[in-house]
Formats: sequence, C-alpha cells, structure tokens
Amino acid sequence: MRRVFLVVLLAGVIYYTYVAFADLNFLTRTGRPGPGFFPRVIGISAIFIILWALIDELRKGADEQEKANPEAWQDVVMLMALAIGYAVLLRMFGGFVATVIFLGVTLMVLNRTQPLKNFALAILIPGGVYLLFDRVLNANMPPALYDLPI
Amino acid sequence: MDIFSDLMMGLSIAISPINLFYLLIGAIVGMIVGVIPGFGPSAGLAILLPVTFGMDPIGAIMMLAAIYYGAMYGGTITSILLNTPGESATVASTFDGFPLAKKGRAGPALVMQAAASFVGGTVGVILITILAPLFAQVSRSFGPPEYFLLAVMGMLTLLVMIGTNWKFGVISALIGFALGTVGVDLETGQGRYTFGSAELIGGIYFIPIAIGLFGLGELFYAFYTGLHKTGTGGIVQYDKEERFWPSIEDWVSTRFTMVRGSILGFVVGVIPGAGATIASLMAYSTERSISKNGDNFGNGEMAGLVAPETANNAASSGAMIPLLTLGIPGSASTAVLLAAFLLWGLRPGPLFMEQNPELAWGLIASMYLGNMVLLVISIFAIPLFVQMIKVPYRVLGPSVVVVCALGTFSVHASFIETYLMFAAGMVGFFMRLYGFSPAALVLALVLGPLAEEALRQTMTISRGSFGIFIERTPSLSIICVTIALVVLLPLLNRFGNTSAGESEKAGS
Repeated sequence: MRRVFLVVLLAGVIYYTYVAFADLNFLTRTGRPGPGFFPRVIGISAIFIILWALIDELRKGADEQEKANPEAWQDVVMLMALAIGYAVLLRMFGGFVATVIFLGVTLMVLNRTQPLKNFALAILIPGGVYLLFDRVLNANMPPALYDLPI
Repeated sequence: MDIFSDLMMGLSIAISPINLFYLLIGAIVGMIVGVIPGFGPSAGLAILLPVTFGMDPIGAIMMLAAIYYGAMYGGTITSILLNTPGESATVASTFDGFPLAKKGRAGPALVMQAAASFVGGTVGVILITILAPLFAQVSRSFGPPEYFLLAVMGMLTLLVMIGTNWKFGVISALIGFALGTVGVDLETGQGRYTFGSAELIGGIYFIPIAIGLFGLGELFYAFYTGLHKTGTGGIVQYDKEERFWPSIEDWVSTRFTMVRGSILGFVVGVIPGAGATIASLMAYSTERSISKNGDNFGNGEMAGLVAPETANNAASSGAMIPLLTLGIPGSASTAVLLAAFLLWGLRPGPLFMEQNPELAWGLIASMYLGNMVLLVISIFAIPLFVQMIKVPYRVLGPSVVVVCALGTFSVHASFIETYLMFAAGMVGFFMRLYGFSPAALVLALVLGPLAEEALRQTMTISRGSFGIFIERTPSLSIICVTIALVVLLPLLNRFGNTSAGESEKAGS
C-alpha cells in the first residue's frame, strides 16, 4: 500500500512541476528569482526523491512488505466514511443538527452496547459545543442550507 | 535590572484574575491533551486554537502556551501508569516510569515526575528570561540572508533527526513547501496554483492543515492501531499503595539529574527542529552513562524517570526562544503558536519584545505561574486524570471529529477550509501509517513562504549573487552552526536511541 501512496504522490508532484514549468517564470525580467523559481526547485527535488523511495520500495522483498490487516482497516475506513458524511451534513443542515446526526450514528456504530449513553451524548455534546462556540465565544457555526422543521 | 523590572511588569499582567483563569484553563486542558494517548501538544494547540477567538490576545496566548507546556506534564501520567506515552516526548519516561509503577512505586514516580517537570519548566523559563533579550539583541543584526539560513537550519535539523526514514521526511517537507507556494506571488502578483479559485488567492491556510494532520490524522491512526478497542485494565493502581510520597533518598539521588536534564533539555530545545523528544532521549542516555546505577536503568531507576522529564519540559521552554526572538518556529507545536500570534496581528521577531513588552513579558511571567499551577494539579488531580484515561476512545473519537470540524469552520467561516481539514486528516493518517512526517510538512508549510521571501530579498540585495551568504559574518556563523548540528546531532541521536533501546530491553 505504501507503493500506491508513493505513486499517488508522484503523480501529484509531476503535475505540480508541469504547472511550474508551463505557467510560472523561473526569473523575473530583472533577472531575479521569479514566481516559478521555488516551485521548480521543489517539484524537481520531489520527483527525484519520490522516485528514489519508490525504487527502494519495489526492491524490498514480499516478506518485507507490510501485511494487510483487514480488521484494522475496517473501523478506520468506517470512521473516515462517517467523517465525510459529517462534512456533507454540515453544509446541508448546519453545525448543530449535523453534529447530532453524526454523533448519534457514529456512537451507535462504535459503542453498540450503551444506546442510552449514546443518545445522551449525541444531544449533550452538540449542545455544549453550540453554547461554547455560538454563545460564549461568539464564533461562527456552519449555517444550514436546508432548515429542518424542528 | 531591566530584565527584573520587565519581568515584574509581566507578572502584574499575568496575575490579573482573568489571565490567571485562562492560565488555569490552559494548564488543565494541556494536561488532558497530554493524558490522551496519541494526542500531543501540536494536536491540542491546533484543535483548540479557534476556541481562543474573541479572547484578549494576552490571555489567549497565555492559555495556548499553558496548553503547550501543560501537555508535557500530562503525557507522563500514562507513561507511568499504562506504559503508553501520551505523546512522543514522554516515550523515554516509560523506560523507568512503568517499571517503578510495577514495583509498587507509582505514587512516588508520579510525584517525582511532577517535581522534575516543574524544575525543568522553571529552569527553562529562568533561562528564557535571561537569554531571550540577548538573543533578540543579536538577531537585530539579521537580515534576509540570515532568515533564509535559519529556515534552512530548522528544516535540516528536523530532517536529520528523523533518522532512518529521512527520505520520507524530505518528501513530507517538500509537500509542505509545495503547499506553501499556493496563492498570489507577492512580488509579481501572478497567481500560483490557484486554478481560478478566489479561496486559494490568499494561499493554503495553515490552521486547517495542522488541525487535519495532527487532530484527525492521529485519531484515524489511533483507530487503525485498535486503541478504541482496548480496555483500561492495564492501569497500575497507584492509590492502594502504602507510600504515596517519594522518599528523601529519591530527592537526594536525583538533585543533580534535575539540573543536568534541565540545562541539556533547554539547549536542545533552542535548536530549531530538535525538540522535546530528542531532548528527553538524550537526557536519558546521558544520565544512564554517567550514573553509578546505570545498569539498573530500565528496571525502575528514579533518575531514569527524572532525567527525560526535566529535559522535555526545559526543551519546550527553550523552543520559545527562536519563536519569540526570531519568529522562526523550531517545532510543529511552536509553528501552531506562531499561527496564533499571527492571528492577532503580532509578528514575533527581533523587535517583538521591545515593541510588545506587555505581551512578551506577560507570557514569560505566566510561564512561571503556569509551572507552579501545573505542579499542584499534577500531584493533587491525578485521580481525575486517571478517570479520564478510562473514557473509551470509541466515545472520545467522534467528539474529536466534531471539535476539529467546528473549530476549523469558526476560523474564517469557510466550508472549503473545513473540507481541506478533512482531506488533510486522511492524508495525515496515511503519512503516519507509512512512516512520513506530518510535523515536517507543517513546519515546511510555515517556513517555506518565509524562506522564499527571504531568499528573493537576498537575491535582490546581492544582485543575484549567492556569495552574500559567506560574506556576512552572521550568515557565515549560521552556516557553521548548521554544519555542526547536521554532523553532531545524528551521532547524539544514535547514541540516545541505542541507550534507550538497551533500557527498553532491560525493562521488558
């Protein structure tokens, strides 16, 4: 999997370097470092070092590669998916409602044995956060795109 | 005398009821952050930075600084009772802290770690008080070439200390530098990597990346390692012991260890990029090599706990020197603190202490008070923090996601930044999983634009000649110090790791 991560990084830095060469000048008209100076140095260095790391990874034998552990991935992928869902809900229903839904669902999935405690936490934590951010600190809470009839 | 009157002025500011309240909150929150395994001071600072909006700048900076050094106190509680360091700087404290607890000496170990942290933190603040004005004076002769070299020194030191995974460290730093180039080029006005987006004209903001990498990334990693499934049965019960307080022998045998650890820790902390983790490992190995009971290290030797504890607290104080006097963060945590200063329109640097004496000296004075507050909390509120360790990660985790998301949104009311934070969280998880360095990325993101600006100014001054770096005495001095650090630090790091490895074996 590390190889895949390195390939993704390599693709990203190749594109970054392409833009640095195609759109950004290396030097200004007066001969000083231009807007493309740093990006080109960074891009070329990154391509070189990622390729080096990738070759090292490919040289490693199968026994040195990390073993896939589906059980370890299960919960982290689920939490990531729930977090993405939360990001979408924040835009749609605003900070308070999205947080109630996210916490309710996530706690029900992760902490199945204590439904009452989960329910209480799903209400109390967003309430506390709302009071802290909106009332005490006067900070911005995400506004709702669609208001729920509650 | 000037320093003394400045300090008294700072103390009069720090001691106001509202600032004392913020200090207390910061100290408690810092300890909580330190106690939670997987969350270090950088994560705590990044997540809680938005909470300080709306506060008075002095109170907010004092609170954030208290979170920063408070996390060093809290991190050791789990090292001693659970054999799980709260963060990387307290790894060395497990070598002798946990064996002490297993021997039935958890109470004395907890009190001694609090005392050692207090001594390290206080010696560190005394040294800041004396040395920060001197550093500020020296750095007034610094121009763009020196600032460029300091940024390079910070990155090089960090990368050298990463050790065997240096290639991944360099890749992480380059990604940080690349992200730092996004936005309008200030010299020519040309857009770089903005792709027509108005949100990207000002560049990629540092806070969502830091919150994502350190907050969400660490959380995902904790779930990957199964921390949310583990129970809390491994906690050593310290309250059933006959003797809670350390013996006179504990105090007498470690009195010089505290002094040595404090000075070593402070010196390492001042070096940009080195940090508290390196300081604690070095202090441990140094103590092990000079102690008469060196062979017993790893089996529950009090000096083996005291040395890293004094060092990591002194190092976190030492790291404030380059931040306050040069405006150069030496670690991921001080990078977040720098972001906090910038949010309030304050620019740390050579003139910072002269132009903002209330804030600079108020902060330094608050660190004296903060260490006292933390000493008391560390000793008397341990049962409370032990209860906190017992809160299951599966319940804590979703709440962390909420605080990260709402905290990020509250900064600029931007959904783009919130989504960026979620993306950074996922990237941070993979970086952590595959041995990359989120700290190097964050540091490069902060230092990159500084370095670029300084280099371009240098080229303007020198009319394109790189010779300026060796023609100026301050630049040449920085180059010599950088070369010395790059050569010496890996050797010391290897020495520290070898000793630490041997102690781990002895302890297991």
